[in-house]
Parts: sequence; C-alpha cells; structure tokens
Amino acid sequence: MNIKMALAKGRVADKALETLTAMGYVFSDYSPKSRKLVFTDDTETLSFFLVKSPDVGTYVEKGAADIGIVGRDVLVEHPADVYELLNLDIGKCDMCVAGFPGTKIVYNKKITVGTKYPRIAKHYFDTIDQPADFITIGGSVELAPILGLCDCIVDIVESGNTLKENGLVVLKKILPISSRLIVNRVSLKTKSDDIDPIIERFRAANV
Amino acid sequence: MLKSYTIDGFENIQYQGYHALLDIEQRLGECFKRHGYRRVTTPTFEAYDIYMDDDAVPRDDLFKLVSRKGKVLALKPDATLSVARMAAINHHDPGEIIKFYYLTNIYRHFSEPDVKKEITQMGVEYFGDNSPECDAQIIRLALKSLELFHIEKLQIDLGNVGLIDALLTKTDLDADARKALGKLIDKKNVDDILDFAKTHGIDEAVADKLARVTTIYGKPEAVLEKTEALCENTAMRRAAAHLKAVYRLLCAFGLGDAVTIDLGFTRTMNYYTDTVFKVYGAHWGAPLIEGGRYDALSAKFGIDRPACGFAVDVLGLMDYLEQNDLILPFSEARTVLFYAPDDIKRAADIADSLRERGVITETFPLKGAPEPVIARMGHTGSYKNARFYCIRQGEVLKWQQNRFDRVDDIDGVRLYPADPAGSPVPHRLV
Repeated sequence: MNIKMALAKGRVADKALETLTAMGYVFSDYSPKSRKLVFTDDTETLSFFLVKSPDVGTYVEKGAADIGIVGRDVLVEHPADVYELLNLDIGKCDMCVAGFPGTKIVYNKKITVGTKYPRIAKHYFDTIDQPADFITIGGSVELAPILGLCDCIVDIVESGNTLKENGLVVLKKILPISSRLIVNRVSLKTKSDDIDPIIERFRAANV
Repeated sequence: MLKSYTIDGFENIQYQGYHALLDIEQRLGECFKRHGYRRVTTPTFEAYDIYMDDDAVPRDDLFKLVSRKGKVLALKPDATLSVARMAAINHHDPGEIIKFYYLTNIYRHFSEPDVKKEITQMGVEYFGDNSPECDAQIIRLALKSLELFHIEKLQIDLGNVGLIDALLTKTDLDADARKALGKLIDKKNVDDILDFAKTHGIDEAVADKLARVTTIYGKPEAVLEKTEALCENTAMRRAAAHLKAVYRLLCAFGLGDAVTIDLGFTRTMNYYTDTVFKVYGAHWGAPLIEGGRYDALSAKFGIDRPACGFAVDVLGLMDYLEQNDLILPFSEARTVLFYAPDDIKRAADIADSLRERGVITETFPLKGAPEPVIARMGHTGSYKNARFYCIRQGEVLKWQQNRFDRVDDIDGVRLYPADPAGSPVPHRLV
C-alpha cells in the first residue's frame, strides 16, 4: 500500500526531502519546478505532496495524508488531533520575541505585538502577565516594528540574519521549535505494516 | 437576493439525506433491540451543576442557558452522563442489569467554526456488570452494528486507561499538570513526555515507563507480552489482566484478527475507568465508534453500579457510507393528479385509494391547459420521475410520451366500475 505524506512547503520540505533521499527514497519525477502535485517514489511505497504549513495538520488529521512533517510552531498555533511520533532533527529554530535593542517586554503599560502566531504570542504574554494587543500579520513581520505598527514581534528565528539586517534583536526566546513527524490516528493502527518501516527509517535517520 | 442565516457548526439535512439517516437509525435500533436493549430518551437540557464537579466535558464547550428561576442549564453535551443519571434515578438496586439504547443530539460549543456543534449520537449503555465478558459483548455488538452496513476491514483498537492512570498516580502532579501530561501521552510524543517529566520533577523510572507505554501498540500477542513486564503494582496488574481477558474473549468470538491493542490509549471522555475501544473502517481517517467502561460514573448519581457502552456518530457514519457508496440511492415514485374544478372530489378519492396502497400521491388543480404545466413541473427536483395524470369530466388521462391516453386503472386501483355489458362508462361522483 502506498503511504501518503504531507510536507509543509518551504524550508521544512526541503530539509525533509534531503532526509528522505538520505534514507534511500528516490523520487525521480520530482523537481522543485515541477507542476505535478503528488510525487511517488520509485518503489511506489511513499508519495508526498506539498501544502501550506497550517494545512499539513488538517490533511493528516482528516486522513487525506497518513503522515506529515511540519514545524512545532505550526502545530502549537493550529492544533491537530494527530500523533506526534517524532521530534525530527530538522528545521530547528526558536520562537522569539524580537524588537529594537532595549525594548522592554515587561512594561508597566500595554504593548503592541505583531505576529503570524497570535495564539502562541497571547499564551506567552498571558503567562508573564504582560497586557498586550496583538496584530496578526501574514508575512515580513520584521517590517512591522520598523514602520511603527507594533512595539515588538513574535516570530521564529533561525539564524537571526533577517533581524540583524533590519536592526532588530532577539529579546526573549519563548519556545524551542523543531519539525515533527505526525501520523493520522487511524492510519497508524490500520496501515501499520506499511507505516512502521517508514517511521523506523525516520527514527534511525534522526539519531 | 437570498439572505444567509446559516450558523457555523449547524446544518440542514435534505430529504435524500434524511431518508438515508432514517434507514441507518432503524437498522441500528433494530439491532440493539434484538440484543435486549430498550430505548430511552433524556431531556435536551441538563442542570449545569452535573458538569461542574468533574470535567467530563470542558466547561467552555457547554451551551449554557438560564431558566426563569435563574438556574443555569446546559444543552446536553454528552449522552452517557444523562443515561447514567436516568438509570440511577429509576433503578435503585445496584445489582440490577439494565440495558438501554438511545438516539439523541448532543451539543458542544467548540471554538473552531468549521467543527459541527450539533452531533447525532446513537449508542448503548449496559449497567450492572463489570466483567470482561460484558466488555467483549459490547465490543462485539459495536462490530455487529457496523457490519449491518457492509463496512469493510473493521478493526477494533483496544486499550485500558487503568494502566496509565496507575502510572500517573505515582507522579503527584496537580490536576492541570496531569491534564497537560495526558495530552502529550495522547499524542505519543515521547520526547515531549520526557522533557515534561524533567521540568516537573517526575521520577525518571516513572517517566521512562510513561513514555514507553505510548509506544506499545499493534498486534495483540506482542503487546500483551510487553505489558506483563511493565506492571509493577496491583492496579496495573489488574488492568492488564482485564485487558487480556477481553482480548481472549474477542478471540473466542472469532474476532481476534480484527483486534489491535494500544497501551497508550488515553480517555476521550473523562469518566472512562477501564476498557476503552474504537472501531475503524476501511478508507476513513476517524473512528466510526468509540466506547468504554465507566464504573465510577453512576456512583456520582447515588447508585454504585459498573457500566460499559459505546456511541455511533450517526451523521459521521452517514458521511462514511455516502463516500464509500454504501448508501442505497434515494428513489421515490410520485404520482401527480391534476384535476379540473368539477373533478375535485373524484381526484381526492382516487388519491386516497392509491395512498392506501402505499403510493405517494399528490393532487393539484388544473388552471388552463395541462401540457405546459406538466412540462414545467417534470423538470423540477421533486417531480423529475413523477407520473402525471389529468382528470377531466370524470375521465382519467395518463401523460405518456407527450400525449394523454385514457387509462382504466392506476396501480390496480380501478377508475371505473365494471359495466355488466363490458364497455366501461365514466363513473361520476357528484
């Protein structure tokens, strides 16, 4: 049986495909420019498709995909009812509060926070009892404090280069992030003969 | 312009769907009845208080209302609680065997807009027996009830929450932390469980076992073998023995091959105390049936009585059947009689005779020429396959191949009295 895998477009998918290749899967019909949507490996045991990161959880939860790879940031922001079997060694970064040097995140009045992750941001500021307004932004979050839209941002920081180039710094790391191998709750049990070997290969590649 | 008054999370059921739904309910009901279950129903509302003391259902997920006297009510968020309450009120002998089944809507105020908030559940509750035999009977019935619909590759996923409970009691976590850890266990996230254990000062050996339990699932024999090694106290050994006994009984029923066991099963409902199970079908990413044993719930309502049961999400099952082409196509032959003003009574009489024979019959007054009316009506949804007749001056004409022909009977209903001389004469009712 062919196992279907959802990958989060972008950084995570690139890294995941490297790992899959290292594990011995060959996707000869795949190239980043291809217009095809679903790619199957040459042994026809594993297919993958690329979707926007918040959709990975949805595809796997509903069973349209059996397994998926997606960042922890996305799973915390958009929870899905799935098994999170493995913390993969790819896509490592941190969820951070960032802003101009010297910006105080604990302050005696309300601050404004720009983010792609309103849920994570709100949870963090709630736990430190800092009143905050949240502005949800779709992308290029670094722009928001520069233009005065907010006092600080909550976003994932990998190398910190984008921040540096825009004169911003990490003010506080709030959550370590890595990619997760997620599995549909039913597939894990009903397709175990086909899924277990794949999980084992990921586990072995992870050490 | 059509105005949209739809509310997120609630849906209309069209007549084709309702037809299928009714069929599902009847088949399930008949199956439960023949197994000795009696149908009951409980009110749509429950006193909010019964959901207060334990969090069987997250309180934010309740639809709340205030009665005229200021009492807070909740739209029933769960069927089992209400049925257990009812069984406790009406049956005071704790040893009495009671078997109930129900069909009810339950309501959950989920925050996600696209999740259904009104859920139709049909299920059974078996009170007064805490033996593994009772669990095995219940699981077999769950399977039987899905077999009615020719669902393939049915699989029983079996667990026992007693094992993890016994490990959790060794951690001295407060209720909130236990819940958080429970979520990680439920996700089988070994790394996060170990991280959590470290930050919450859980004994390493216990943490290690909790993490290990979540990874033990699959073929029953292999799982049971590993279970023995995990047990370290009476509570765990008791839970393991119960699990094994249920599995052995399922094997005796000839269902062994359909079983997988998962030691990492956490409770979907807070009241489960022991056996829990789910049933899966081919090509579907969600369970079709969930159930389990809840031995401590009835005691909350004053009667200490063990119980076990399961519920089918009826609309979920209907979606499954629809997507897997297991629903009988909806077809319904309609008969339409048009009548001229003078023939109103005659049309009504013929219609009644047809209805007595089970034919769906409707009558409409004729205004002007019948042909264009029939042509238009024949194209609208409900009347696409209808048979059309026209009654004029006592004569019954059938519309076929774009013309009217005189007919003597419809489905065996004679339209004219037999004439002794043999030639039928129009029968007129004045």
